[in-house]
Amino acid sequence: MKRRSCWWLASMVLAVAAILAGGIAAGAAEEIVLGAAVSQTGNYAREGKFYVDAYQITIDAINRAGGVKVGGKAYKLALKLYDDQSDPNLSVRLYTRLVTSDRVNFLLGPYSSGITIPASAVAEKNEIPMVQGGGASGKIFDRGYKYIFGTLPKAEFYLQAAVEVAVKLNPPVKTAALLYSNEAFDRSVGEGTRQWLKEHKIEKVYDEEYQPATQDFTSILAVIKSKNPDLILMAGHEQGCLNFIRQAQAADVNPKMWVFTVGPPTADFRKTLGKAAEHVYGITPWLEEMEIGGEIFRSAGEFGKQFHERFGYEADYHVASGAADVLIYKFAIEKANSLDPKKVRDAIASLDVETMYGRVKFEPTGQIAMGQVLIQVQDGKVVPIYVGGKFVAKPVYPMPKWSQRK
Amino acid sequence: MLVLQVLVNGILLGGLYGIMAIGMSLIYGVLRIVNIAHGALIMLGAYITFWTFTLWGWDPFLSLPVTILLLFAVGYLVQRCILNLIVRAALYLTLLITFGIEVVMVNLARIAWTSDLRQTAPAYVAANFSVGGLTIPYVRLWVFATTVVLSVLFLLLMERTRLGRAIRATAQELRAARLTGIPVGQIFAVTFGLGAALAGAAGAMWGVLFPITPILGRALTLKSFVVAVLGGLGTMMGAIVGGLVLGLAEAFTATFIGPTYPNAISFGLLVLILIVRPTGVLGRGEGR
Repeated sequence: MKRRSCWWLASMVLAVAAILAGGIAAGAAEEIVLGAAVSQTGNYAREGKFYVDAYQITIDAINRAGGVKVGGKAYKLALKLYDDQSDPNLSVRLYTRLVTSDRVNFLLGPYSSGITIPASAVAEKNEIPMVQGGGASGKIFDRGYKYIFGTLPKAEFYLQAAVEVAVKLNPPVKTAALLYSNEAFDRSVGEGTRQWLKEHKIEKVYDEEYQPATQDFTSILAVIKSKNPDLILMAGHEQGCLNFIRQAQAADVNPKMWVFTVGPPTADFRKTLGKAAEHVYGITPWLEEMEIGGEIFRSAGEFGKQFHERFGYEADYHVASGAADVLIYKFAIEKANSLDPKKVRDAIASLDVETMYGRVKFEPTGQIAMGQVLIQVQDGKVVPIYVGGKFVAKPVYPMPKWSQRK
Repeated sequence: MLVLQVLVNGILLGGLYGIMAIGMSLIYGVLRIVNIAHGALIMLGAYITFWTFTLWGWDPFLSLPVTILLLFAVGYLVQRCILNLIVRAALYLTLLITFGIEVVMVNLARIAWTSDLRQTAPAYVAANFSVGGLTIPYVRLWVFATTVVLSVLFLLLMERTRLGRAIRATAQELRAARLTGIPVGQIFAVTFGLGAALAGAAGAMWGVLFPITPILGRALTLKSFVVAVLGGLGTMMGAIVGGLVLGLAEAFTATFIGPTYPNAISFGLLVLILIVRPTGVLGRGEGR
């Protein structure tokens, strides 16, 4: 091809592209775009889906209710979504792209502390707020960042209620095994839990870390079984906890009580395990039955119902947390009455509002101040056992041995 | 006591690793293809077993012949249509194409079956028995027994049948095999089919022990490769030996050193073998 025709062709293409880009930019002027890279494939695909669905349903609900009002004008919310494949490095690249290339207005978070830690650095560097509901580790919030906010309660406190309850039961728990995954959230839980065990004078007979992608827990279980602890505390994500319980059943490991940081409140977990999920303890900051509510979704129950109708599965606290993140932007943007990232950031930091997720109020670090409920699975249902330092139901304790279960 | 339990755990799982790796070893030995899609074939086997169990209640061990036949067909077709183009070609080409096949298979699985965790969980999945202080889950024992049976059948096929001899001949010396009238193109397809069938069987059993997701194969391709190299890439018995070695190494490391070390040890073993005896424990130094 002759040089001249090449240049001519190239400039034509550029001209068309510029016109298109201008057209797109003009057409998007009435939208507020929230950008996020969430794990739709990979290790965290299960939980990632909760957030994708939560973001979508909340954005649609807000748009139906009139959108977000800024300076007398109503804006529609839009979502720009990428798949981070459960890879923190890819997440950083995608968030950078969202900010620099896609030029989204604000950021929503990924799932898992391990990914949120590097991703939030992108938000901070570009001075654009990121509100995330998938990372609970205190490590996200102890870097003095101003632009990262989180709606999951602090990881280090996750198992505090469980340990508190353990010593109040009859007969009280004397020994415990602590197992946690080598990932930011789980290590934070492990750190915190070690402290609670010491405070309540429970003897720690096992304290080990495992690789996040571990499928086979038989060796770990063999060692735990040989130590015969009263209580097993496991900090992992859904797939790990599920594997562990199954294999513990096959290895006939019988603690009096066991608690898992992710899984028990989630319907999919209980469904997959079936009867093996009985008597398992878990933690959640949110339950559909809670009497909380706010704008857009008048109650937790209403939100849960709408979600179930649209997506065909029950909402859990991950979903509620993700939905809250989008709601937070609506309230903060309207409070700041501006789309300026700094003003919105300040509005988020000073927010104090009731929502279907509960009361949203952030600590100075950016993490939400919210309590957790210790639940136990009884007859396949999630039963709150201990809230705000008090028992609200009787737990089944000690757990019947596998051989004695029906 | 703990040592004995760990020993048993390691052997039981090692057998499964062995079956995963035989297919890879076979495919490399005959076709000189490092099958990056091996894990995807395992994954397919796991899903087939899961669906036949969930939809029609077929017991995962009894539906094995079906899984094996289906995967054989898949492997045969993949080889005939795609891999035939790159048999005995440059290594990077084989890696590239099998990688592409892996990506396609995994993403098709994701679209068809979503990333939801599945598990083939027959009623007896957690049943176990105790003997001398050891707790042995029945499924692990049956998985091991199945891997033994499959290995024996496979070895009989290789050693005692015309097909087996033809396959081995093709692996040893391609030109001579052609000269003696062996339909080499057909052999390639059958070999890949066999490798896929074994991967499928491994997957079927994996799905009973561990949760199934579309990406379950990725880590397993690597493991199969380590096992195959440990035992001797291209040798069949070697894969079994390699599997047992890996199973035991992982079990002992996880128990006595720490649960975060098994991968380090596995790959450390790989590096060690490649330095000390690159042809693997059972491989012969034929300079191929």
